[in-house]
Amino acid sequence: MSTLITETPAETTPTQLSLDQERGHFGIWLFVGSEVFLFLMLFFSYFFLAFGDWRWLREEPPKLTLAFIMLAVLLTSSVVLRWGEKQVERAKFAQGRAALAVTILLGIAFLVLSFFEYREHLKEVTPWSNAYGSIFYTITTFHVAHLVLGLCMLAFVLALPRIGVTRRPPHRAYSDVALYWHFVDVVWVFIVGILYVLPNLR
Amino acid sequence: MSTAVVDRLTELWETPHTTRGWFSTVDHKSLGKRYLATAMVFLLLGGLEALAMRLQLARSDQRLLTPETYDQIFTMHSITMIFWYAQPILSGFSIYLIPLMIGARDLAFPRANSFSYYAFLLSGVFLYCSIFLGQAPHAGWFAYPPYTDALYSPGYGMDFYALALLFFTISSTVGAINLIVTIFRFRAPGMAISKMPLLAYSTLTMSFSSVFAMPSLAAGCVFLELQRRWGFHFYDVAQGGQPLLWQQLFWFFGHPWVYIIFLPATGMISMLLPTFSRRPIVGYPYVALATVMTGVVGFGVWVHHMFAVGMSHMSMSFFSAASMTISIFSAVQVFAWIATLWKGRPVLTASMHFALGFLALLVIGGLDGIVTAIIPVDWQVTDTYWVVSHLHYVLVGTNMIPVFAAFYYWLPKMTGRMMSETLGKWSFWVMFIGFNMAFFPMHIEGLQGMPRRVYTYPPGLGVDGMNFTSTVGAFILGVGIAISLFNFFRSLHPVTGRIAGHNPWNADTLEWSTDSPPAPYGSVHLPTVRSRHPLWDDHDEEFDPDDRRVFAEDRLTIATTWLDAEPVAVALIPEDTLVPLILTVVMGLLFGALLLAKLWFALATVIVCLALMAVWMWPRHERVPA
Repeated sequence: MSTLITETPAETTPTQLSLDQERGHFGIWLFVGSEVFLFLMLFFSYFFLAFGDWRWLREEPPKLTLAFIMLAVLLTSSVVLRWGEKQVERAKFAQGRAALAVTILLGIAFLVLSFFEYREHLKEVTPWSNAYGSIFYTITTFHVAHLVLGLCMLAFVLALPRIGVTRRPPHRAYSDVALYWHFVDVVWVFIVGILYVLPNLR
Repeated sequence: MSTAVVDRLTELWETPHTTRGWFSTVDHKSLGKRYLATAMVFLLLGGLEALAMRLQLARSDQRLLTPETYDQIFTMHSITMIFWYAQPILSGFSIYLIPLMIGARDLAFPRANSFSYYAFLLSGVFLYCSIFLGQAPHAGWFAYPPYTDALYSPGYGMDFYALALLFFTISSTVGAINLIVTIFRFRAPGMAISKMPLLAYSTLTMSFSSVFAMPSLAAGCVFLELQRRWGFHFYDVAQGGQPLLWQQLFWFFGHPWVYIIFLPATGMISMLLPTFSRRPIVGYPYVALATVMTGVVGFGVWVHHMFAVGMSHMSMSFFSAASMTISIFSAVQVFAWIATLWKGRPVLTASMHFALGFLALLVIGGLDGIVTAIIPVDWQVTDTYWVVSHLHYVLVGTNMIPVFAAFYYWLPKMTGRMMSETLGKWSFWVMFIGFNMAFFPMHIEGLQGMPRRVYTYPPGLGVDGMNFTSTVGAFILGVGIAISLFNFFRSLHPVTGRIAGHNPWNADTLEWSTDSPPAPYGSVHLPTVRSRHPLWDDHDEEFDPDDRRVFAEDRLTIATTWLDAEPVAVALIPEDTLVPLILTVVMGLLFGALLLAKLWFALATVIVCLALMAVWMWPRHERVPA
């Protein structure tokens, strides 16, 4: 019988082991991976529809100013939250919570700005006018929905009694939620690049 | 081992035998069994729909079913079988077996496991509500627009399809993430990735494919629903849409899905075939790598479902070649199994009968699949009964038959009682003969040009005899399944079901070292592993004289590193909870509201869902950190 015998130090004393804090983080990474594929599919659909219909060339390209302001808001929020993560790692929970609060405010600012952006953009094209409008608003609304979910998660962490190492789940709630928030921000970078900048380049 | 420790473990892990306990349990064994039972119910529903179709097609110009009813029945048959039977039944096996097989006490996220079960159940119930409205989906399992636009498919049928599938993708994604983290984090100390059971490899591959393929289906379904009910334009050419967009999105999901419902079944065969050949599998690393590669390359072949839509030769040649590449990986597995049989001393149990039947059907289905991957032949046979025959050979042959092999192998572990071997062999032969009678003639009908999805055919085309044979075969197949069901219920009775004991098959993996049925906590001493075949080597997995791996302080299990499985932490497993069930019920209401286009009600349910998730994640019994 071909049995492989190795020198695994299997009989470790369990009292030496700490409480597992990593499962949730691994799960969030996979969840983000799934979401990445969702947005990949949405961007794929955008290009597929664009290449199938040359009338898009006659569409007025979206205006850039507000989109770039929104990008600045989100990137700032990511930097603040990253700083907050560092503080939590050093057990400076008050600073961590302050960073969370600032991130939430920036996220709300983004929502307000996107309301104005939509109001401006809807004058030119609506979701019902053609395929371009449909895919444009679907992608941006998907992003807003993810952002709102991210805001809810941030608010949840802000409300948690403890955000360091915890005995009961959720473990590492702060960095889990921060990972999701960074993902939502990165999606906006691609939206600005693909939906806003590219049509202005031609 | 003192009884006090066992009592303590039981108290920690056992779900109370009350109604509330039944609904709130997060035990992977209970939920795994429920997955299996629910998927079997869907198999029977889909089977009854198949028999209704075969009755209609038994003779030419039959008028048993109207064309509309026939369309609804063949669509419900396909969706039920592909989504609500084929994948959940494999998830059921994985959820039940993987923790036992890798020596953990539960999955990584037990509450999410409860959520994905109830979401699977409710999405299926949601789909079947359409039957009571008389408006079931009717456009085949791949629902091509423009036929599925509101203009050509009025009513709620296709809305049920899109929303039920969206609901299902949520369940499936959560379940897949759960299994991946479990396999990477909870393997017994010493079970390095090179010693992992092959079922864990195929479950891992299938779960990764699910995580990355499901979003594509979700996007397609969201577009479909937005277009049908809310006036958006994705698939209508008049407003700049592209009907082909649906096909791209659907098949980018659809082909990985084929491997999602095929790979775990091959994993199960790789577990039980060596056991019954009385030797380790030949070429373990090659089988493991072939499994992973099938999953990876499976993402690059989706266009072979679309050879007939008109594309450049370049892209068609690429996807044709990629499709044939897949057969290399399947062949590696098939030859490994044959070599295992060759070098071993096979024992022809009922389970082994099914495993060998699977090999035969896989080879037939695989070969006619290669034929279909050749573009000129595909143009000839696409949308004919050839494809129906091919897909049933690969889906029944590589999913249902291995699932029955697995039932005969693992049900004694789950129930603690043996099923009758004689009845099992009868069941196999009846199913095997019935299946081939039902589906082999369809190859010939297809080559003669009989189109699929048409409710009847005129006499004198030379297909009457073959269709009648198919119908008889389908009923014989049904009888074969019924024999196995009878066998199962017979084994539950104390008189007719022999006690199974720990390891009735003298198998090699860890699940066989637990009691049958396993105690709520699995093993008293969490096992350590030294080889690929823990129960066949000299190492005593549960050797633990100082009780250092009992972990009776709380609901605990060992977390290990993902490659070498060195113990790094102890993981706390959450208690039973009703929140996942309540959350899925509210999500069911959300999808109902979307179906009826009640936006404010839908928004309210979303807010309730978010609140429930907060309740779910809120830390309970916060104590001093460890």
